[in-house]
Amino acid sequence: MDKKERILLKDTALGYKKNGQIIPVLKNVNLSFYEGDFIGIVGINGVGKSTLLKSLCGLLPVLQGEIFIDQYPVSAFLLNELAKKIAIVLTEKIGGFNLTAYDVVAAGQMPYTNSFNRLEKENINIIDQAIKACGISQHQHKLLNELSDGLFQKTIIAKALAQQTPIMLLDEPSAFLDYASKHDLFILLKKLADEERKCVLVSSHDLDLLLKYCSKLLVISNISTALISVSEAKTNKAFLEIGGGFI
Amino acid sequence: MEKHTSIKFLILIGLLICACFLSLFYGGSETISFSDLSSNNFIFWHIRFPKTITAIIAGCTLAVSGLILQIIFRNPLAGPYVLGISSGASLMVAISILAGSTLHLFSDFFIGKTFIVLSAIAGSFLITFLILAVSKKVNSNIVLLLIGLMLSQICGAIQTALEYFSDANSLKSFVIWGMGSLANTTNFDLLIYLPTALVTLLIILFFIKPLNALLLGENYAQNVGINFNSSRFYLILISSVLTGLTTAFCGPIAFIGTAVPILSRMVFKSSKQHLHVASCLLIGSIILLLSDALANSAINNISLPINMITTFIGAPLVIYLMFKNKTW
Repeated sequence: MDKKERILLKDTALGYKKNGQIIPVLKNVNLSFYEGDFIGIVGINGVGKSTLLKSLCGLLPVLQGEIFIDQYPVSAFLLNELAKKIAIVLTEKIGGFNLTAYDVVAAGQMPYTNSFNRLEKENINIIDQAIKACGISQHQHKLLNELSDGLFQKTIIAKALAQQTPIMLLDEPSAFLDYASKHDLFILLKKLADEERKCVLVSSHDLDLLLKYCSKLLVISNISTALISVSEAKTNKAFLEIGGGFI
Repeated sequence: MEKHTSIKFLILIGLLICACFLSLFYGGSETISFSDLSSNNFIFWHIRFPKTITAIIAGCTLAVSGLILQIIFRNPLAGPYVLGISSGASLMVAISILAGSTLHLFSDFFIGKTFIVLSAIAGSFLITFLILAVSKKVNSNIVLLLIGLMLSQICGAIQTALEYFSDANSLKSFVIWGMGSLANTTNFDLLIYLPTALVTLLIILFFIKPLNALLLGENYAQNVGINFNSSRFYLILISSVLTGLTTAFCGPIAFIGTAVPILSRMVFKSSKQHLHVASCLLIGSIILLLSDALANSAINNISLPINMITTFIGAPLVIYLMFKNKTW
C-alpha cells in the first residue's frame, strides 16, 4: 500500500537566529514522514527536538535546504493554509485575560472562521468533539490559570485536534501528566495515527511510553539524526546512550 | 451567558445616556436646564457640546488604545499613560508647537492642527516601539511599568527644558494643556478629531481575529494562521494614532487606558475581544464624562484638573491588581 508522504526534509540545517547571529542546531537532516506514522522523538535536553518541531511548522526559519509539507516548501505556504496542515503543542504556558479552556480549543478553528472569528455550527461541533476526545468536558469553562498542569496540557492538545490537520507536532506533551493520563494521551495519539491516518510527531523523555506506542523513533544525538524502528531500539547505540543504561 | 451580556450592554448604554445628560447640563459652573436652553445657547453649543463630545471621543480612543496595548504586551496593567506613550506624544506636541511657531505653520488652522496631531502620533509610535524592544529583555509585567514610568519622566524632563524657550503666552497654554483638559477642544477641532477617531476605531473591526489570537502568544497565534509580526505592527499603529490624536487635543489623560479594559474584563468575564472593544468604547466614555462632571461640580466655581479624578479611579485599580497578582 502506498503511503502519502507528509513531511520531507532535504539537506536541511535547522536552528535559530539570536541577536542577528545564526545558531545552527541540527545539520544535514534528511528525513521523510508519512501519513499514519506515529514518531517518537528522543534526545537529551538541548539537542534540538523543539527546534526540529518548530522549524517544521514555520515558527523557526530553515537555515539551509528545504522542508516540504505535502510536496510544497514550508516557506511557500500562506500562514492560514499552513495552519490547516500542521498543528503544534508547545511547552509554553499561556493564560490570563479571561481565557478559558474552551476559548483555547476554539482557537484551533481559527484557520476556518471568517475574519471576524465567528463560530458557525460546524465549527462548534468540531470544537466539542476535540474537547470530548481529550476528556476535558467538565473543565471547559474554567479559566486557564485555574487548570492543573495536566488539564492545561490536555487543553492545548484539544486545540491541536480542533485544528483538523493531517500533521500534529507535540513537544513533550506528557511532561506534566500523571501516569494514567500519559497512557491515555499516547493511546489517543496512536488512535489518531492509526485510524485517521494523521502523521504524529511527539518528543518525549518517557522512553518506555515511546517504545510501547510509537511506530518509529527519531533518535537525535550530537553526532547523528536517525529514524529507526521500535524493534531496533534495544540495539541502537545512540538510543541506549540516551536511556543512560536504564532501558 | 448571551442574555446577561446583552443586559449588561443595555445598562452601559443607559449609563452613557445619563452621563451625557449630566455632562451637557451640569458639567460646568452654570447649570443649564431645558427650559432656558435658548438663553444659554452659546454656552451650550460652543462650550458644553464640544466638551461632551470630546469626553466621549477621548474615552473611546484611550480605552481601546489601552486594550490593544494590554494584548500586545500580554500585560493586564499596560496602557498609554503608564507606559510613557502619552508622554512621548506630549513631548512631540511641545516640540511641534515650538517648531510650528517658528515655521509659521499655525497661520492656517488645519495645517497647524494636522502638524500637531501627526507629531503626537509619531511620538506615541516611537515610544511604543521602544517599549516593545525593551519588553523582549524583561519578563516581568511590573518592571515594564517601571521602565514606562522612567521613559515618561525623561520625556517630561525634556519638555520642561523646552518650556524655558517658550514665551509667556505659550508657556501658560503649555502647562494647562499638559495637565490634560477636555475643555480646550472647539467645534472646529472636532472637525478633525471626530472623523479621524471614528475611522481609526472602525479599522479595528478588521483586527478582531488577530486580537483574539495574540492572547495565545506569538507561537500559537502563528500556528493558527495569524501573521504575528504584521498584525502587531498594525495594531501598534492603530493604538498610536488613537493615543496621539487624543493627546494632541486633550493633553495626556491619566489611567483611562489602563483602567477601562481592566473594568471591562471585570464586567464581562469573556476573552472575546469584539465584546471588549465595544464595552471599552462605552465604559471609557462613561468614565470620562462622569470624571468631567465631577471635576466641574465637586467644588463650587472651580474646575479641577481631569487627571486628578481619573488618577483617583485608575491608580487604586492598578495597585489592587498588583497586590492580587491576578492576570485579568
